[in-house]
Amino acid sequence: MRADGKHHTLKDLYHERTKFDFLHRKWRWALLSGVVLLAGLAGFVVNGLNLGIDFTGGTVWELTATHSPSTGAIRDLVVPLGIREPKIVIVGSDGMRVQGKDLTRAKQEKITAALAKYAGVKPAAVSVSDVGPTWGQQVSSKALRALVIFFFVIALYLSVRFTIKMAIAAIIAVIHDIAITIGVYAITGFEVTPATVIAFLTILGFSLYDTVVVFDKIRENEPKIGTVKGMTYTDMANRSLNEVLMRSLNTSFVALLPVASLLVVGVWIYGALALRDFGLALFVGLLTGAYSSIYVATPILAWLKEREPKHRAVAARVETRAQRAAAPEYQGEPEPAPVPAAARSRTAAVSTPAPSPARAAAPSDPPVITPRPRQQKGRKRK
Amino acid sequence: MRRNVWYLSVTLVLILGSFVLTMLSGNRPVLGLDLQGGISVVLAPVGQVKSQASLNKAVDIIRNRVDSLGVAEPEISRQGSNVIIDLPGVRDRDKARRLVGKTAELRFRPVLAVLPAAKKPSATTTTTTTKPTSSTTLAAGATTSSSTTTTTQAEVKTSTPAQDQKGATVVLPSRPQQGKPGLRYELGPAAFTGKGVSGAKAQFQGGADGWVVVLSLKSDGSKAFNALAQTAFPKSPPQNAVAIVLDGIVQSAPAFKEPSFSGDIQISGNFSETDAKDLATVLQYGALPVQLKELTTQSVSPSLGKDQLHAGIAAGLIGLALVALYMLAFYRLLGLVVIFGLMLAAMAIFSLISYLGSTIGLTLTLAGVTGLIVSVGVTVDSYVVYFEKLKDEVRTGRTVRSSVDRAFEKSFRTIVAADLVSLIGAAVLYGLAIGSVRGFAFFLGVSVLLDLAISFFFMHPLVYLMAQRGELVRVKKLGMAAGLDAPGVVT
Repeated sequence: MRADGKHHTLKDLYHERTKFDFLHRKWRWALLSGVVLLAGLAGFVVNGLNLGIDFTGGTVWELTATHSPSTGAIRDLVVPLGIREPKIVIVGSDGMRVQGKDLTRAKQEKITAALAKYAGVKPAAVSVSDVGPTWGQQVSSKALRALVIFFFVIALYLSVRFTIKMAIAAIIAVIHDIAITIGVYAITGFEVTPATVIAFLTILGFSLYDTVVVFDKIRENEPKIGTVKGMTYTDMANRSLNEVLMRSLNTSFVALLPVASLLVVGVWIYGALALRDFGLALFVGLLTGAYSSIYVATPILAWLKEREPKHRAVAARVETRAQRAAAPEYQGEPEPAPVPAAARSRTAAVSTPAPSPARAAAPSDPPVITPRPRQQKGRKRK
Repeated sequence: MRRNVWYLSVTLVLILGSFVLTMLSGNRPVLGLDLQGGISVVLAPVGQVKSQASLNKAVDIIRNRVDSLGVAEPEISRQGSNVIIDLPGVRDRDKARRLVGKTAELRFRPVLAVLPAAKKPSATTTTTTTKPTSSTTLAAGATTSSSTTTTTQAEVKTSTPAQDQKGATVVLPSRPQQGKPGLRYELGPAAFTGKGVSGAKAQFQGGADGWVVVLSLKSDGSKAFNALAQTAFPKSPPQNAVAIVLDGIVQSAPAFKEPSFSGDIQISGNFSETDAKDLATVLQYGALPVQLKELTTQSVSPSLGKDQLHAGIAAGLIGLALVALYMLAFYRLLGLVVIFGLMLAAMAIFSLISYLGSTIGLTLTLAGVTGLIVSVGVTVDSYVVYFEKLKDEVRTGRTVRSSVDRAFEKSFRTIVAADLVSLIGAAVLYGLAIGSVRGFAFFLGVSVLLDLAISFFFMHPLVYLMAQRGELVRVKKLGMAAGLDAPGVVT
């Protein structure tokens, strides 16, 4: 909601006049994330991840037939030749993809010849990928190691560049992204290959960068908390987000366009399945990365910071000011019995906020304001 | 002002020049397996590797075999104890796969005759079908070769791997000397194999002999060797020699100096240290050949490769076009800077890949293409950072012209930081090397480096020069000021 009460338009976004309230409804976003994460967890428990042969070992045949292939016919063909539980996928109208495990080279060659004959093509037109069990194990352990190392590097970088609380918030956002992407793959059953893992790690990098952009702005605005009236840490973080929104959206969108093109062209138009492995992980990761910088990292940071005593004090002050402004007796009244000048000058030394005409210091006022901490470092107070 | 013109011109000349050169010279990127078809096999030794020298010998053997397949750009490398063999564009992929993993055998054969080096192409061993009649002609030829004229000798064909059986009479080449094919030998059936060897080592004897190889045989090997020596010693050269053959190539053919041997055998013949050590390795390998098993194989048909190539190119071009359109719509005239920058980056990358392809054999794989496509996002982000900073400056009331330099100074730090993060990420990914997707990290890294250079030497100077022209700034709705959402300007 804008200041004039109307809803934001695209023009507002373009002119960077937005005043979105990202942070005061943080439970809404926490709920959304929670639901998605839970769905992902359910998918993971029920389906597990569809790991490609590079991780599990096995053999995959890919070929384009001269007619429309049928799953049943292919199964009848390969089971007697030695594939106990074949995974058969028909790609588009004439593409075939057959997967099997534990096959010797001799059996593989026989199956290649049989599939070629069925499809009506020469055996040289069949593409075969064979991964032995040891290789599959090597790749799996490398992938896990990569994830761990990457995580460690990210954590190190964050704690060097930012304060501890910021680092914690950013790391939680990264974990959130990881969990959501795994969940998406578990639910949809798309294949997880080394390409997926690599793409995924790339996205972590992008997401981290996006969070850095937001946190840089917050750091830039942090000193302003004490100076602008009524601004708590949450308000400042909100404003920072609004300031950086256009840039963040632009960056994400510009990175998303080529990836979307990769998915659409690569998969649907050309049927190059290899591009799908990359494209999907990148696409999902970019979306969650952009989302988490705004709706996960920053709210967590704001929440962590607000618990600090310094910010609790500010929040309390703002709260009281708001209460006083809202309380009916204090609105529109003329200047009441003036506070004695001497008392006023004394209170000035005891750093109370300047009284405004609408809010007279009536004697029956409950003393709820905590004194503002003294200015340090010899700065003169006017 | 002048510095910017200088930067801009040098950049344009460099990039356009190298692109034109690349196109003219016919240099093109070398396509990897998954874009042109071919086979890639990773082999690992079975059991413990007794010596690194043996494993290296195994790799040499594979290399020789691959040479005979006629592959344009084979790549055989080792990663730890794994042997990686990439054969892009090979025609018979199944044959190649069978060929590279076969265990090589060491054989000792009596020499029947020495023949001149094979004349190409009649002696190449790429044929798949065996002609059963040729072995009989060879046998017939054997009886007459010692007294025939050169004409029949020139027609004798080298035995194919399929004909190279233990019990057959064969014609095999010796090792090529300095790139030229060596002499060929006509050899009798194998007397014994590497199984009869117990060990070999190279020794420096001093005196006239210099470096020699000392060969120790087991009892059955020794018996066979002595039997060979007795029949061969009285004959005249070259028939008084024994050929040491590994994987169908004659490694050495020393003549017998004595009719019988007890104990170790010394082989000498003006060997250099490397020659001697090499022969010793051959013999050691023969005693305990390294057996290799397949870890993973990837066989891509040419049609799949072509499809993937087209898919990659199309995706890249469409992605670029979409991004360019978006930039134009958002930043108006400044969007042109982005388009030119992207075109220059594409040209530079094309020239670089083609150059590296012909020098260090860099191949462009599908993973690499994806890396390039992803890097478009990183590249354009640099422009977005700069333009948004420009916007901030202009919004405070400054003119576009006076904001250009200030905005760049402030935003270049951010651009460098962002690119550095991407670069470090790419480096880590490259090092982690899961499967065959190193190409992704490599091309992403190269792109990011290029982006840094282009931001500094192209983007800023061009924007600066454009901002000097008031007309470009003030154009309604399409001008630079409009693109930057300057206050008071119609957008």
